[in-house]
Amino acid sequence: MDEAARSYKIVLGVIGADCHAVGNRILTAVLTRGGIEVVNLGVMVSQEEFIEAAIAEDAGAILVSSIYGHGELDCQNFRARCEERGLGDIVLYVGGNLVIGKQDFATVEARFREMGFDRVFPPSVDLEQVIGLLRADIDARRPMALGHNSGRFVVEARA
Amino acid sequence: MTEIENRMLSDATFQAERAEVLKTWPSGGTVDFDAAVAVQAALPPEKRFALALAEADAEGRTLLQPRAGVALIREHEALLNGLSPYCDVLPTTIDAYTRHNRYAEAQEGIDRSRAAGTSLLNGFPAVNHGVDGCRRLVDALSKPVQVRHGTPDARLLAEITLAAGFSSFEGGGISYNIPYAKHVPLERSIRHWQYCDRLVGRFEEAGIRINREPFGPLTGTLVPPFVSHVVAIVEGLLALEQGVRCLTLGYGQAGNLAQDIAALRSLRRLANHYFLNAGFTDYKLTTVFHQWMGGFPEDEAQATAVICLGALVARQARATKIIVKTPHEAAGVPTLEANQAGLKATRQMVNMISDQNRVDSPDIQTEIDVIEAEVHAVMREILRLGRGDVARGIVQAFASGVMDVPFAPARANLGKLTPVRDNFGAIRLFDAGHVPLPDDVLAFHRDKIAERARAERREPSFNMVVDDVRAISASKLVGRPA
Repeated sequence: MDEAARSYKIVLGVIGADCHAVGNRILTAVLTRGGIEVVNLGVMVSQEEFIEAAIAEDAGAILVSSIYGHGELDCQNFRARCEERGLGDIVLYVGGNLVIGKQDFATVEARFREMGFDRVFPPSVDLEQVIGLLRADIDARRPMALGHNSGRFVVEARA
Repeated sequence: MTEIENRMLSDATFQAERAEVLKTWPSGGTVDFDAAVAVQAALPPEKRFALALAEADAEGRTLLQPRAGVALIREHEALLNGLSPYCDVLPTTIDAYTRHNRYAEAQEGIDRSRAAGTSLLNGFPAVNHGVDGCRRLVDALSKPVQVRHGTPDARLLAEITLAAGFSSFEGGGISYNIPYAKHVPLERSIRHWQYCDRLVGRFEEAGIRINREPFGPLTGTLVPPFVSHVVAIVEGLLALEQGVRCLTLGYGQAGNLAQDIAALRSLRRLANHYFLNAGFTDYKLTTVFHQWMGGFPEDEAQATAVICLGALVARQARATKIIVKTPHEAAGVPTLEANQAGLKATRQMVNMISDQNRVDSPDIQTEIDVIEAEVHAVMREILRLGRGDVARGIVQAFASGVMDVPFAPARANLGKLTPVRDNFGAIRLFDAGHVPLPDDVLAFHRDKIAERARAERREPSFNMVVDDVRAISASKLVGRPA
């Protein structure tokens, strides 16, 4: 597959009982502008909804946002659930104010890496940088599929 | 559900519903209205919210109130008593699970917090703690305490907290749905809040004045003043109908001085206009100003500057109360010390502005004129859609986009209205969506945005809006190109 035809499709949402919608809109706008195809599930998204959307959309990554402090509770066992559903290799990012209070970011990052997230971001992260990382991480995990039997081909053929 | 209407719930309707509400979680079983009235009647004057507001209003003072809530009673009590010397009235912020009636998850949060030795919840799970737990808290405090949350169905929360001696309750059927929920139909949340307002009305009839505060800032992000004013006025009318008599209407800082001062000054006048026209005369109206509700700078000194700008505006416009932010805002739930720092900075600014003369300018008057024209245009259409009934009208207004809150998560909101800052940082309408504003008002918005576009040598677009949303956390008010 040539570089231009590569798609970067991600599932985006705010996890748990969190209804902060603004950052979600901004992320969608900036990622789309950066050439990422965004399936935006909006706010108050459960782990199941993330995973089902990722399967249905054949997404290369799941981006989990959490700004209200319950991130640690809401993200328990996320990677394990992905593995159960056959998404063991999907790129998993998480970002926002993930814990209660102002804690040392390196500690928070380590805790969420331990939980199986590939990358952990503070709210102040440069989104252009996230786009670069996302492309590289999705490419690195892309299965060695021949064009004719890739999921993308099927979708296009149907359309 | 029958069609929503703005009419006082009958006793029979209320009592039948109440029996169901109190069964939705075991702690509801201990709520008793007569006992609740007795608890409220026994509160000393210094712990009554309505009294604190009335005195501040009479003396022209501005009260300070922080936000705070943790999972466990003892820790929450210590937190509030640590804040008490620096503020005038106390909050209890409710956790996000309770806000969505997910009490089992709140319980898990309580248990895990106990095990972890630190709060893993972003607020106080009042329903799980029940009347006794909440009463223990109120007894341990020396100032009035308000419930602050974001709950579309707050009926059980209201029953439990008011029975325990909380004397003010924030929220409303619109302001706690549109910015706080995803799937809840507007008529349902309005109906549930009619219950909450009726409960407060029943306390009022029993001689207990509970303060009600519709949530002013909505999504806290580039909300044009007329949008939040219309919600405040409609929720005020809905509350008055159910017997509420002590109302505090809110507004969230937008950032431009003239527009913010104009918004607060016009809010009281517009509300009185609509309340009096609806036939209400025996109510007490006060105002609350929310310091910047959008993204904050990470740096604590920079965040303190944002806090102080809000304090200046609130005091200059004589708000009755300020909801105070903290230097930790960018990082989420603050520590006690950070919360104290926000209160101290605000107090210093309020004191320095208090002795100064009222600032007036043609700019402020222009903003007042624009806001009033906008509010009247939208209110007219709401009343027309509802055939005179404001509850019916507001539901239809949201469904058709006549009312539209920017950046709201709720499906009940159209989301077509798009705001952007003008060249001086005031909030204007880049796209009015389906909101029926007069032509001259729309032309005013267009001209103001064109002025900025010329200054920045770029076309107005959604990129400009995105830049504005991120501007204050990046240390500017207007999101200019680099």
